Amino acid sequence: MGDVFVVIEHRQGEIRDVNWEMLNLASQVASDFGGEVVSVLLGSGVDDIADQLAGASSKVLYVDDPVLENFNADIYQKNLSALIDEHKPTIVMIGHTAQGVDVAPALAVEKDLPYLTDVIELRGEGGKPVAVRQYYQGKVNAEFSFADADTYILTIREAALEPIEPAQKGSVEKVEAPAKEEAEHRKFVEYVEAEIGDVDITQSEMLIGVGRGVREDKNMPMIEELAQVFEADLCGSRAAVDAGWLPHDRQVGTSGKSVKPKLYFAVGISGAFQHLAGIKGAKTVVAVNKDPNAPIFAEADYGIVDDLFKVVPKLVEELKEE
Amino acid sequence: MKMSVENQSIIEKLDLLGCIQCGRCTGGCPVTVRTNLNVRRFVYDAYQASLEDLMEELAQYSEIWDCTGCHTCAVRCPKGLKPVEVLYSLRNQIVESGKVEPTVRDALESVFLEGNPWGKPKATRFDWMEGLEVKTAEEGQEVEYLFYVCCSVAYDPKLQVVAQNMVKILEKAGVDYAFLGEEESCCGSEVQALGEEELFMEVQEENVELFSSYPAKKIVTLSPHCLSALKKYEGLEAEVIHYTQLLAELIDEGKLSWEGEFPKKVVYHDPCYLGKQNEVYDEPRQVLKSVPGIELTEFDRSRERSLCCEGGGGKMWVETESQQERLAETRARNAKELEAQVIVCACPFCILTLDDAVKAVGYEEEMEVMEITEILGKVL
Ligand SMILES: Cc1cc2nc3c(=O)[nH]c(=O)nc-3n(C[C@H](O)[C@H](O)[C@H](O)COP(=O)(O)OP(=O)(O)OC[C@H]3O[C@@H](n4cnc5c(N)ncnc54)[C@H](O)[C@@H]3O)c2cc1C
Repeated sequence: MGDVFVVIEHRQGEIRDVNWEMLNLASQVASDFGGEVVSVLLGSGVDDIADQLAGASSKVLYVDDPVLENFNADIYQKNLSALIDEHKPTIVMIGHTAQGVDVAPALAVEKDLPYLTDVIELRGEGGKPVAVRQYYQGKVNAEFSFADADTYILTIREAALEPIEPAQKGSVEKVEAPAKEEAEHRKFVEYVEAEIGDVDITQSEMLIGVGRGVREDKNMPMIEELAQVFEADLCGSRAAVDAGWLPHDRQVGTSGKSVKPKLYFAVGISGAFQHLAGIKGAKTVVAVNKDPNAPIFAEADYGIVDDLFKVVPKLVEELKEE
Repeated sequence: MKMSVENQSIIEKLDLLGCIQCGRCTGGCPVTVRTNLNVRRFVYDAYQASLEDLMEELAQYSEIWDCTGCHTCAVRCPKGLKPVEVLYSLRNQIVESGKVEPTVRDALESVFLEGNPWGKPKATRFDWMEGLEVKTAEEGQEVEYLFYVCCSVAYDPKLQVVAQNMVKILEKAGVDYAFLGEEESCCGSEVQALGEEELFMEVQEENVELFSSYPAKKIVTLSPHCLSALKKYEGLEAEVIHYTQLLAELIDEGKLSWEGEFPKKVVYHDPCYLGKQNEVYDEPRQVLKSVPGIELTEFDRSRERSLCCEGGGGKMWVETESQQERLAETRARNAKELEAQVIVCACPFCILTLDDAVKAVGYEEEMEVMEITEILGKVL
């Protein structure tokens, strides 16, 4: 009783970011429920992952069985169900991801437990959870309390919380798989890797966006240098791609890609509606444009109204000195 | 040979047996200069495939996404078929299987959730009205002209001027008009082009119901894309026209005239959705000719031969990779040969493509791209 289960999502030997975020949240609230943080790892031959998790949880409950080699919601559900019965955690956190929402609702229905999705905040009050999720496309935050139960199932939003810094040495407990049979209806078929170019700009944390204002191919080395000092990837407007300065898969916008970097640095981009649609997810937007009326400034957190051919070299110089 | 029921219906629905494989469709298809799309081939293969259940395989060809929905193929078909719809049906297979580009997925989802493909909140659809006195429709009260603002015009700051100027023109003409309230929602033109037929049906049903609560003699669209979509609606009672048709009539009846001058040489670009698909060729020209000082010239490829700008058919969300220059750039070069100072047009999508093209070929300093209402706004 009182423990916080964090159901670990992994794929092809890699732990997804949402796990570290859930572990951070779990470590903040575990004491509210009077328990510990327990990573629940289902897989086959994933000792490495169990070790990594031990650095960020009090305990790793580790089920290793060939039947768990690939994710299968039915098999996960059976095993999680049995583990919940045995260990009676107060909270079960599952990532609000494609995998997570495949298992969590069925699990909650099967066990008739209170269930809340896409949670962004959590605390315990009197041993019971109080959680926050959003309404109306993020315009309203709503706080939820729950009916009395021994266990509560929550899916946690990705990228909404800070990841944990692994700093402890938890125990690892390997247990027999409670359910070993193959699933009746679902079968794992194959992994299909997403086709990507050399850089997948949708995953980049720092992006320099290049626009028509850069004028000519021969000015690109200057921008590339800026990208280097920023440790950023390059992307651009349709105009920049059409001009041949960047490959097609670097186009941002309605007919390109949607990006969500921490920093989007727009150089010589006017900020057409079709371009801005692709940078909605950017945390901070900085724009350099010589036209003070360029629509990009309406979207930008910081704007520099000046000639990019003056600004960019200066920036490179300054950043290099640092 | 096994004939699946589903595919058989494609043969019947699109009358594929009527095709004589003459090739006029591909011969006139504007995008063939940029891509490998061969629509005649798809008509042939779809017919064969439907016999052998290979539609899914056909849908894998990426060229099906190169079509701009201009309908040149349909205009040229001597048998009255619509080859373009074979491509839309193949897109439908992809959409149904869920394997679409994220951009397409997002646009469709946004239509479903927010009533527009731009990912914008429904609640801000009428922000363009700010600072203007606009008559809005009241439930159950009939107006003569009910205006339907396109999603692009409503949300894209570059295009909002079309609706804003429209209001000023209507006030000047003193006609009985109203714009729909916040309830207006996407017409589904691009939804259908992207192959999401089921969503289109849903959009149609909701819109027909909406229009029945706001009765009007005529529904007037600002975009030819909405015009095409609304005209397809089953169960819509009011007549649907494009705004240029209304303005031409008002000018003709002497109810609308201009104070200022627009002394520039302009060339009119026929939007495919207005011309080829709805045969509205004369009215936009009539409106332009009524503007004092204007010199109207014509592209060699005009009216039913007009060169597509590549803005329709869902292309706003799907890029065509090609080494060849965009058709809109060719259009800009043609305009330069004619020494036109302005390319004028009556479609929001054409405005976007042509405007970008004029910059891409470096004519920004000497040539403008304007919507008809932008010119009218200067001579009010
Ligand atoms: C069907 C369709 C789909 C589209 N899809 C996309 C898409 O996915 N992504 C996309 O980006 N666009 C898309 N567009 C194009 C979009 O409408 C714009 O035309 C395009 O984004 C403009 O690119 P830009 O900002 O680089 O160029 P411009 O709009 O030409 O802007 C260049 C900017 O650079 C500034 N500038 C010039 N010189 C300097 C200097 N020396 N110093 C500082 N600033 C300077 C100028 O002030 C100007 O603001 C699409 C258009 C259509 C029709």
